[in-house]
Amino acid sequence: MKTRNDCRDWRELLGVYALGQLEGDERAGLEAHLEGCAQCRAELALLEPVALMLPHADPERFESAPQPPPELGARIAATIAGERKQGEKRRRRRLFGGFALGGATAALATAVLAIFVLGGGSGGEPARHVRFASQGVSIDATLEPHAYGTEIRMYVHGVESGTLCKVSLRGPGGVAYPAGTFRYRWGEDSEAVLSSALDLSRTRAVVVRAGKRTFVAPLGRAPIAANTQLEEEPT
Amino acid sequence: MIPETLKRGNSTRGALSRERDVREAYAAHSGELYGFAVRSLGDAGLAEEAVQETFVRAWRAGERFDPKIGSLRTWLFAILRNVVIDLGRARAVRPGVAEGGVEPSVEPLEEALLSWQVEEAMRRIGEDHRRVIVETYYRGRPYAEVAEELGVPEGTIKSRVYYGLRALRVVLEEMGYED
Repeated sequence: MKTRNDCRDWRELLGVYALGQLEGDERAGLEAHLEGCAQCRAELALLEPVALMLPHADPERFESAPQPPPELGARIAATIAGERKQGEKRRRRRLFGGFALGGATAALATAVLAIFVLGGGSGGEPARHVRFASQGVSIDATLEPHAYGTEIRMYVHGVESGTLCKVSLRGPGGVAYPAGTFRYRWGEDSEAVLSSALDLSRTRAVVVRAGKRTFVAPLGRAPIAANTQLEEEPT
Repeated sequence: MIPETLKRGNSTRGALSRERDVREAYAAHSGELYGFAVRSLGDAGLAEEAVQETFVRAWRAGERFDPKIGSLRTWLFAILRNVVIDLGRARAVRPGVAEGGVEPSVEPLEEALLSWQVEEAMRRIGEDHRRVIVETYYRGRPYAEVAEELGVPEGTIKSRVYYGLRALRVVLEEMGYED
């Protein structure tokens, strides 16, 4: 028979006891021990709720968890991207809807809208995503073609909070087309949305001047140029 | 007993309004969400639909997600529960489905959630612990018989039941279980 000094031995019977499967002398001995051992009572109190949950499970399901099909993630991403584009189109329509006031103005509005939707020479160009990193600084940018030029959604990490970032797109011949400025704020992970007049099809590189450092991410020909090496230009 | 199982979880900072956030959230939580969806809907196709709808709704409402109130995982599970309820309702009013005799069984949602959590926790504990709990508790086999089969003393089987329940408790707490 175990003694009170064998607290650990008693404790190791608590699982079987919590499941209601401890019998005979062991059960009587453990119950006597529990009366005098607050530690084991506390331990039992932790196990009992778990034991009560067990009947809800189906042991046939323990071996393997069902896994989502591999293409589900891409399908969700495509659905969300499609919905976002629809939302942007609706916003544009609302913006230009204000022109539809009367005869001549309505005709003008139609013309403007047609140029907006059809013009720009960037039709069919897929969006590009560049992710680049150098010496603790990482920059993530998604470039989308628009009739007016290129929309840039950008995240910068690794520079000092408050750093002013100036973004431009570099076109053929190294000509810079400004896209705007933003400040990197530590702890604020919303993206910066910028735009440049340069068509995406003519964009050769994304240039970010963060404080005194300038980063250049060349844009490959592939639609998705991920993990591009970041060139840091001397300042 | 229906535990408040999903109050805690991994905390993830930031909103879910960006597509990149959704990708990261999907990588971190889609397995669990899908597992619960399959468990509660009893159908892989519907479960895919439910998970997809969950992430789309999460993205639409991304600006409203506040990590100070609860974890991303908790929030996603809350959305999934609503989606599962909606899908259940839609299926209930869909004519002809039940007549075919192929309608998957639908458990009450809280019961499905509890079942899924225990099953998921059982999958996460060690094989030795899971096995003794399955053999002695679920299959009702005598401890001596299981001990002989595994070639260990009966006392070891009993202590493994203890450590197995302890491990289950820890895993369930990681999944958000609170007394």
